[in-house]
Amino acid sequence: MLNESRIKLMTKMASFEAGEGKKSMAIGTYFKGNYIWKEVIKSIIYGTLAFFIVVGLLVAYDLESLLSDIYKMDLLDVGKTIAFNYLKFILVYGIITYIVFSLRYTKARHNLRAYYNNLRRLSSMYKKEDREKRERTRARRNGRPQ
Amino acid sequence: MTKLLVIREQIVKFVTKNENYVRPISKFILALITLVIINSKIGFATRLANGAITIIISLLASFLPINFIIIIAMIMILLHLYSLSTACAVVIGVLFLLMFLLYFRFAPKTTVLLLFTPICFLLKVPYVMPLCAGLVCSPASIITIACGTVTYYAIDFISNNASVLIGNSNEEFVTKLKMLMDEIMKNKEMLMLVVAFSFTIVVVNIIRRLSVDHAWTIAIVTGTLLDILIVLIGDLKYGTYISVVGLIFGSFVAVLVVTVIKFFVFNVDYTRTERVQFEDDEYYYYVKAVPKNTVSIADKQIKKIKGQGTPAPRKEKVAERESAEEQEMDAVEYRVRRSTTKEAPVRHGKRDANGLTDIERAAAAKARAQRSAKK
Repeated sequence: MLNESRIKLMTKMASFEAGEGKKSMAIGTYFKGNYIWKEVIKSIIYGTLAFFIVVGLLVAYDLESLLSDIYKMDLLDVGKTIAFNYLKFILVYGIITYIVFSLRYTKARHNLRAYYNNLRRLSSMYKKEDREKRERTRARRNGRPQ
Repeated sequence: MTKLLVIREQIVKFVTKNENYVRPISKFILALITLVIINSKIGFATRLANGAITIIISLLASFLPINFIIIIAMIMILLHLYSLSTACAVVIGVLFLLMFLLYFRFAPKTTVLLLFTPICFLLKVPYVMPLCAGLVCSPASIITIACGTVTYYAIDFISNNASVLIGNSNEEFVTKLKMLMDEIMKNKEMLMLVVAFSFTIVVVNIIRRLSVDHAWTIAIVTGTLLDILIVLIGDLKYGTYISVVGLIFGSFVAVLVVTVIKFFVFNVDYTRTERVQFEDDEYYYYVKAVPKNTVSIADKQIKKIKGQGTPAPRKEKVAERESAEEQEMDAVEYRVRRSTTKEAPVRHGKRDANGLTDIERAAAAKARAQRSAKK
């Protein structure tokens, strides 16, 4: 026999599994620290790439004056400025990444907790149904004329 | 109002019912509009600007996730710019790369705003975007709208100065690069709009979350006025010569568009607001419940009523089948008789009032004639 509340619960769970649940389950396989640091490291790599692309573009933009003044410039000082700006940029970008992904992890865990609760409810529904079925069968057997 | 609500319910019902078709069709239309705009604005690669190619790519995009439309649009822009000048392709390519590297992995859902922003700019209603983003999305959409604005201004600049930027000579590469980067970094009008849009998004988002009646309407009006104010202040300060009539007309259209969106997304009846208060072991709850405006549309069912003179469809079918069976029987009878009596083939007809077929009638007439001849 169809159990309406079980079907509703299963539909809700299936919709979660097909949509947001995919990402949440992937996130749920990590510990919080591991997940956030994985994303921060990714951000550092992407940020470094982006920073040096911008530096390359700025060098190309100011190529003429750079070539004419290269002998007069204190290259160590230029290097220090670039390194300092790079660290500043990576630090800010890393902090943003940390905040965003820690919020995302918390949300995913919350969703997963709700999902596992539903799973438990579903399991208990099945158990209850099984028990009732067994009782019905037993009652039928006992009531049968010998 | 009730009529409008009925129309809304019908639209929602239609879209929900035909989602499998509506979704790809809307994606196809979006991709087509995007590609047509790209081709008309910077269609330097004439082979790519071909109508057939545009339609084929749009059809392809209709079956792919919506973010693919953005990737396709970016590739098309880069190919067009490459055929104009390498410097343009490099600068815009770097711009796109930075967007992907730094931002879009955080918020892949809002990337579609990147597509809509330049489209709204071309339709002369860019002020729709900050209001929409503030109402429907999160404040993080500031970055997407800013990226869209920068992309539009860069492409507009290239389109207007194509005669200067054309060519792939190495000597002019740096000059063109410099020209484009100056445009991207120092365009006052663009920077002013980015600032105005950012403030508008934040303010609209904050107001629409407030627990006051008509929060969405207040957010729309405040956002529009703030947008106009910042643009006018910026115009006075930097002398960007922005069209005031265009600004006010664009803002008016933006309010209209956003009101329609509000009607579909957030339509509530504040007159029936309920405030309840309760508590549990840990908290006191002060709940404000605002009911949605809904109407139930009548479920029309068409019932066909036929007059008594005409038979019901089932009876007609039965009659047809019986007639076919009769004809089949006639045919069998005819074949048997023909094989035994060597009669000439005669066309079958229906049985007459006496229950005779054409064959039987013909045979009877023949027998009658033979009998009278003998007499």
